[in-house]
Amino acid sequence: MQAWRTTEFRIGFALFCLLIILSVLGPYILNLSPTQFNVSKKFLPPALLDHSSWPYLFGTDQLGRDLFTRSLIGLRNALLIGITSVAGMFILGSAIGMISGYFGGWAGLLLMRITDAQMSIPAIILAITVLGVSRPTPLAIILVLILAGWPAYSRVARSVTLSEHRKEYVRAIKILGASDARVLLVHIAPNILPPIAFVAILDIARMMIFEAVLGFIGIGIQPPTPTFGTIIADGTKYILNAWWITTVPGLLLAITLCCINIMGGALERSRNKILLGFE
Amino acid sequence: MLFALDFFARRLAQGLVLVVLVTMLIFTLLRVVPGDPVRMMLGPMASVSVAEQTAKDMGLRDPIPVQFGRYVAQILTGDFGSSFVRSAQGGSTGGSRGGSTFDAANRASVLGLITTSLPFSLLLAGLAFLFALAIALPIGIAAGLRSGRWPDRLALHLASVLVSLPNVWLALVLIFLVSAKAGWLPAIGYQGPSYAILPAIVLAIELAPTLIRSVSVSVSGNLVEPYVSQGEIRGLSRSRMIVAHVLRNSSIPVLNVLGIQAIGVLLGGLFVVEYVFNYPGVGLLMINAVFQRDFPVIQAIAILACATLVMLNILVDFAAMAIDRRLQY
Repeated sequence: MQAWRTTEFRIGFALFCLLIILSVLGPYILNLSPTQFNVSKKFLPPALLDHSSWPYLFGTDQLGRDLFTRSLIGLRNALLIGITSVAGMFILGSAIGMISGYFGGWAGLLLMRITDAQMSIPAIILAITVLGVSRPTPLAIILVLILAGWPAYSRVARSVTLSEHRKEYVRAIKILGASDARVLLVHIAPNILPPIAFVAILDIARMMIFEAVLGFIGIGIQPPTPTFGTIIADGTKYILNAWWITTVPGLLLAITLCCINIMGGALERSRNKILLGFE
Repeated sequence: MLFALDFFARRLAQGLVLVVLVTMLIFTLLRVVPGDPVRMMLGPMASVSVAEQTAKDMGLRDPIPVQFGRYVAQILTGDFGSSFVRSAQGGSTGGSRGGSTFDAANRASVLGLITTSLPFSLLLAGLAFLFALAIALPIGIAAGLRSGRWPDRLALHLASVLVSLPNVWLALVLIFLVSAKAGWLPAIGYQGPSYAILPAIVLAIELAPTLIRSVSVSVSGNLVEPYVSQGEIRGLSRSRMIVAHVLRNSSIPVLNVLGIQAIGVLLGGLFVVEYVFNYPGVGLLMINAVFQRDFPVIQAIAILACATLVMLNILVDFAAMAIDRRLQY
């Protein structure tokens, strides 16, 4: 928790909270519908550049829908998918790692081999294969993302479990009668958190990019729900005339990811400092 | 010598098992997930009985283990099968163009398709790698040498920013600015090596953060080792110290990272970037194959990708052991 003291972390965190609030509340405040067409108002440039297009803060897209609201809702979807998938990865990976490390034997070895095998499939291939040939729902996307990312967590979980397993207090608890499940969940699990907390946060960013890429190719959440990928993909056709359709959502995504990465980087550095013994 | 043989034999065997497992996984996934390739091939107008008959002839209705056995036997003789959709002349067939364009006897061989598009991808990947190194090495080394002060801070923030740029968006923005507005570099398709520059830049920007981080960490880690100060006491100038020794020792973790993470990122990014730039490499082939339900192509490219990753892992580990004798045990 030393990261709180770094200014960078605080800036990143503050911006991130602001963005979350904006994404959740924004559309209600602005009162502009993201999916309602208004063809007479299509292709308005951002209000920041051309004052005649108020209240469309960032302009409209090819069907007259307000871009800002769409981007915010896209952000909402992206954050949802990013955070749920990372949570899922974390739980699945840690569970597999802990079981493999705790019970050992050839079951543990088998689980580790599966983890290694999983790591050699490039995530995109898996995602494209599964989502490209069937209809992608948000749940399917989350599942694919989880499948793509859990190996990293299971490795760390396994090594932590192996090292903690040998320690005195585990033996003491077992003598006192604790069941295996209790040992695992209550005592070993909290030790996994520090090494991979920052990996989890950085993975949120990675998964959001991944989801945007999937949406761009066309196998993410389907229209008319706005997501970053679909907006950017739609905007490619009009890039010469209405460059803001493609740029604005990407910019918003980049800023969000920047905040997340700054937070993650600050966490990583403070972890390194703790490990190296500085204050 | 014996050690090298033993190492390779062991790792290759493990790698083979891995590749087989992955192939089985993708094979099963493709056939289990809803979406019938025969529909794609014959078009929406063909009757159900014709579709079923074609499927039976192609062996797509047999149980999955049977199909897999047949596929493995086919591969062992070197035949990766023929594409479901692409004809030998190069165009796609079937689908909305109607069943009459589907010529079962004249389909393109998957191996041919891959060997045509592989050189382009290799060119792109190589160029991207060079660019990434050109960006990452100076920044990383400078950051590692003066850790804690401004080059280090700059490198970390730069890495964070670069990681947060979504690659598709960056690609589009670059296309817009560099190609459409300024006309400096060509963007879509391929008509000469200069078409590879812009995609390579996008890929390099995606690769750079990992490289920067690992280079700077390993260089700064090496600087605090005892041998650096000992060398200086003995009279070696600092610059010779750095160039001849520190750099060499810090290259080992970098090699590790290069092999495993960077290639993974590269492979993933390759597909998307090729799709955006319509660059005729293996990535575009794969994505189109998925949309057209072209099973043989998908399977072949998946095998290729996994085998490449596995081979690279083995090579990287071997190189690391060769450079640093301590790792052999």
